[in-house]
Amino acid sequence: MNDAFQKDCLEILAQRVKRGEITRRRFAQLAGMLLAGAPLALRSTGAAAEAKQLVFVNWGGDAVTAYDKAYGQPFQKETGISVKQDGSGPTEGAIIAQFKSGAPSWDIVDADPFSAISLGKQGMMEPIDYHVVDKNKTRKGFGWDYAASTYFFSYVIAYDSEKYGKEAPKGMADFFDVKKFPGKRSLYKWGAAMWEAALLGDGVAPEKLYPLDLKRAHDKISAFKENVVAYWGGGSESQSLLLNGEASMAIIWSTRASLIEQDSGGRIKFIWDQGLMSPGAMAVIKGNPGGRDNAMKFIASAQDPQRQLVMFDMLGQGPANPATDALIPADKKRLNPVDPANFSKQIPLDMDWYAANYGPALDAYTKIISA
Amino acid sequence: MRSHFIHPGAALLLAPLLAFLGLAYGIPFLGVVKWSFTLPELGLGQYGTLLTDPLVQSVFVRTFRICALVTLASVTAAYVIAYVWVRGTTGQRLAAEYCILVPFWISVLTRAFGWVALLSNQGLINTWLRAIGILDEPLMLVRNEFGVIVGMAHFLIPFAVFPIASAMRNLDERVLLAARGMGGGRARIFWSVFVPMTMPGIIGAALIVFVFALGFFVTPSILGGGRSVMVAELVYLRIFQSPDWGLGAAISITLVVIVGLLSTALYRYLRPAQMVG
Repeated sequence: MNDAFQKDCLEILAQRVKRGEITRRRFAQLAGMLLAGAPLALRSTGAAAEAKQLVFVNWGGDAVTAYDKAYGQPFQKETGISVKQDGSGPTEGAIIAQFKSGAPSWDIVDADPFSAISLGKQGMMEPIDYHVVDKNKTRKGFGWDYAASTYFFSYVIAYDSEKYGKEAPKGMADFFDVKKFPGKRSLYKWGAAMWEAALLGDGVAPEKLYPLDLKRAHDKISAFKENVVAYWGGGSESQSLLLNGEASMAIIWSTRASLIEQDSGGRIKFIWDQGLMSPGAMAVIKGNPGGRDNAMKFIASAQDPQRQLVMFDMLGQGPANPATDALIPADKKRLNPVDPANFSKQIPLDMDWYAANYGPALDAYTKIISA
Repeated sequence: MRSHFIHPGAALLLAPLLAFLGLAYGIPFLGVVKWSFTLPELGLGQYGTLLTDPLVQSVFVRTFRICALVTLASVTAAYVIAYVWVRGTTGQRLAAEYCILVPFWISVLTRAFGWVALLSNQGLINTWLRAIGILDEPLMLVRNEFGVIVGMAHFLIPFAVFPIASAMRNLDERVLLAARGMGGGRARIFWSVFVPMTMPGIIGAALIVFVFALGFFVTPSILGGGRSVMVAELVYLRIFQSPDWGLGAAISITLVVIVGLLSTALYRYLRPAQMVG
């Protein structure tokens, strides 16, 4: 699920850079980091420096730039260890392929926590060393054995305010109520968070969601199918469905929702109520070439609030470190998925449930939406 | 009669290619074959799942249905284009050549998005139809199987044109003259003489299109609105999203076997040399 999300971040960043939306202050900071990293980059060309390298695998394109500026260059400046960004995409299957090859070329992956949990149990991931990585710099409940929390995004309801006037949906019950809110809907193609949405829409209390009653969720989705114009597979698709008016309401990524709001001049709005919060994480492949210790050091360095702020500014990712919240300017707080005011309205996805059930659940979901 | 033996010099020149293909495709492919029998445990378990799993079955059935419809649409359209190309006036031939060649130069992704722009609710076709007053509510032309079939057929029509055009070119004009001499009308000659005599081209085109269509990934993914998962996407799902390499491998192998059987049929029916004309 997440791989698609992470790829989407790059698209967002590309758009921002194109529009020149990155603030002057931010630009100065980024440029500062870039320049600070440069002398070391020049020095680290020798054979000795070659061993001091980590490969960070993300989802390609402009994430390479963002991760390099936010995390890679400051880390190199501190430690002399260069961080090579690899954008080939650490899907669960690709991580398995790396591990099974016997000689992985990847060190740290920007992975779904549930993938890391499941692969960790199979002995393919390094356990996170919480002596190095500081658990106090993560939010409570978001530290896993094989994955360290890095950021958050959320599946939120976005709606066409022109169509509904002053009446705004208040949660998943409204999303699934086409009498009160007539019009077509759009759901996510890869199932994640859609089960929770359907159950909430069916009247299940947020605290009673897990373990998910898949049968009930699928019955709800199955009965709702005629109202769904499309199951979006990527952020830009969700954006065009809403902007073109093909869907009057959709459950989409929060990072996209704020962009759509901007692009539509406020016509498309979104709510945090009953948003389904999804964490992103860094994980380390067992037997990684750059060494376990250096990889842990890197993850610890990425907990720095200033560095996470760069990711919020560039990609709209909610910071993992609660200390970052205070650094976000007042007018931007509304867009931060983990801002206390927003967080309390949402429900986090249970990564342990996903680690144990995602594959078969996705199969069943795919079968229903494509039947 | 053409010789079945390859000239020794040619064999020598071909050897590196064969070695490369063997190394780059053959050996890894054997690995995939192995996975299908060994993951997660030794045996035929994954092939058993293939025969019983409702998702796998529904995806295979959908894939065959979509491919059959795409084949029908592509071959029909290609027949008309080929006819104009081979037997039309100079201007018509030029127009046909543009129809065949221009799509070849545009990437599959661009074409899929083009169809979305054309067929969506707010797309050109729906907008026009509403402007003329034929429609009140927009037609669902995309984000469903219909959209997938249109997009795939658009991609595959040029591949169907060549074998059909070749069969039309090889047709002996005297046969048509003879038919006319015997008093056959235009429609009669077309259906009783022309079409049967170009049948090898039609069958060849149908096989090429069908085999090609089986592996489509991007077009159904973009135009299908999440509803039309085909076999290739199911393999992707199995390998990358919810990793179950054994089943993913078994599905791939099954698809390769089906494609192999169809290709053999194609080769038997129409020797490749004939197809390129």
